[in-house]
Amino acid sequence: MPARHRIRTLFALSAATILLLAACKGAEPQNLLVLEWSGYEAEDFWTDFKSDNADAPVTFEFGISDADILAKMEAGSQADLFHFYSGWQQFYVDGGLVQEIDTSKLTNWDKVPDSFKEQGQVNGKQYFLPWDWGFTSILYNTDEVAEVTSWDALFNVDYAGHVSMWNDGPAAVTVSAYVNGWDETGITADQLAQIEQAWIAQKPLNAFYWSGEYEDLCPAVEDGTVWVAYAWQGCYAQALYDGIPVAYATPSEGRNSWIGFYGISSKTDSYELALKFLDAKLADLTMNNVVTQFYYGAANQDVMNAIEDEVLIEAFGINDPTILEHTNFTPPVTAEQRSAWTEMWARVQAE
Amino acid sequence: MLGRRGTLPVLVGPPLVWLALLFVAPLILIVAFSLRPEAGVVSAGEPWNPSLVQYGKVVGTPAFLRLLGVSALMALGVAVVATMLAYPVAYFLAFRARARATLFLALLLVPFAASYLLRIMAWKLLLGPAGAVNSLLSAAGLIGEPLDLLLYSRGAVVITLIYVWIPFASLPILASLQRIERSQLEAAADLGAGPWTRFLRVTLPLSLPGALAAFFMVFIPTVGEYVTPTLIGGTGGIMYGNLIQDFFGRAGNWPLGAALAMVMLILTVIGVLVALRAVDLRRVAP
Repeated sequence: MPARHRIRTLFALSAATILLLAACKGAEPQNLLVLEWSGYEAEDFWTDFKSDNADAPVTFEFGISDADILAKMEAGSQADLFHFYSGWQQFYVDGGLVQEIDTSKLTNWDKVPDSFKEQGQVNGKQYFLPWDWGFTSILYNTDEVAEVTSWDALFNVDYAGHVSMWNDGPAAVTVSAYVNGWDETGITADQLAQIEQAWIAQKPLNAFYWSGEYEDLCPAVEDGTVWVAYAWQGCYAQALYDGIPVAYATPSEGRNSWIGFYGISSKTDSYELALKFLDAKLADLTMNNVVTQFYYGAANQDVMNAIEDEVLIEAFGINDPTILEHTNFTPPVTAEQRSAWTEMWARVQAE
Repeated sequence: MLGRRGTLPVLVGPPLVWLALLFVAPLILIVAFSLRPEAGVVSAGEPWNPSLVQYGKVVGTPAFLRLLGVSALMALGVAVVATMLAYPVAYFLAFRARARATLFLALLLVPFAASYLLRIMAWKLLLGPAGAVNSLLSAAGLIGEPLDLLLYSRGAVVITLIYVWIPFASLPILASLQRIERSQLEAAADLGAGPWTRFLRVTLPLSLPGALAAFFMVFIPTVGEYVTPTLIGGTGGIMYGNLIQDFFGRAGNWPLGAALAMVMLILTVIGVLVALRAVDLRRVAP
């Protein structure tokens, strides 16, 4: 090859390398880190993404509570996406931790009911993608307990030693607010002191405070240790499947309802891939797995409409057209309130 | 070859670096967290205005201090009983097992091959309403209904922790018993001392440093224990460590969690120093 040609070839190769490097620098990383709850890392819960993006590795880090997940995001987590539950939306927006979701790029977005979409909006912007949902109410053993019509069943001394409350301060305040007819977003210091005394008095009634629904609570309901529990409907469905005589109350004060959301971190370099992940999370197979394996509701209404299993129909109250009239949605509260409520709960535990 | 001057940094350097990175630095961070006035999490780059607000909350909440006292008493009970039960095990290994000592020692350590969590869950099954203990008592006609107090109680936590610590506690006692010169026991026998006298006047005093090491090895981590109470303690078996874990985890309030941890650390160190001063090893173990 003449020297002139060799120089030309060398120039061409150099230019191609520079262009390739520039292209690589501008391209998004093709991997995702998700800040999740333990259990949701199972491939069944992101199976559609896995099938469509086999070359995009997804890794997970875990939080053990909404406070913990917010803490990790505030402390500078590198997660591209995070999963949390109702009542915490505003903190992520105020802290600049989340960015708006471009829903025009989500092919499954139309399957989400408007009422769920609205729950994921803050200041008129769609910051969060609703994904799973459920109820909180009283789960009780019908062989041991008469029909439960109020949240005050958790305070009934007849069930001493067989009650189980969730180990969570804000949840305790919510229950007390229901029982006393108070607005939980406006709990005063005096009311909080009353709530603390009520839960201290209630403490000996518990076998234990549960932390994990399927790890702690369900086995204890099934082996007869727990008769009355603050519970999500997942444990109710599990007990029904296992033939345990249980019922899930519709208290006169109303059930509580919660929604799980995904947000895209404001610091992510993988925004487009994160959108693909969220879209796939709403896809039918993935959402159906949430319904049939965790017994949690799906934000994909097509999946909910297709439910035929009697246990799931009962657990989600699908045949009860008035169910939402008896349901209180978890309201947002301030950081100061949450802090005061968790400190109150620590004092209850310490007594 | 390294000279004497060169040997010391080589031997001491790596563990010192390890300690500085993984013990001292985190401890300094905990101290720094505990001095933050705000609740919530601690983010990098936030301004730091030292304050004793969190310590005020800990000291000003009698329930927290009471629970620390209860946890210290539980740890004391666990440490005393575990050490007492570990002593005969170590004695057997040191003086009676002879050629099979290694085999028995390996058997003693077998439980460590299973995860701590699994062993605790096994206890949960044993002590539960349909567990082995209740079934046995029921089959023997001693109880009509399952005993609830076996599980989800302070007693369940103490029993389980004693079980967990016995193999650990026997190791320092075994080491101290193995160091005893047999000639000292032979001299005592020659002077007319019977087996009990030899044990009480020679073996026990000489092995006390090991027994004390075992005691503190159990006591110190047990004060801050939180896994066992979480799994089998129920609401009555909650320990001080559970509060710390809650504030660092579920509640996301690191400054208050750090202050609780520091108060426990300071009081435990003071307690250990006082105990060491009260029990003068040079006097009891000549």
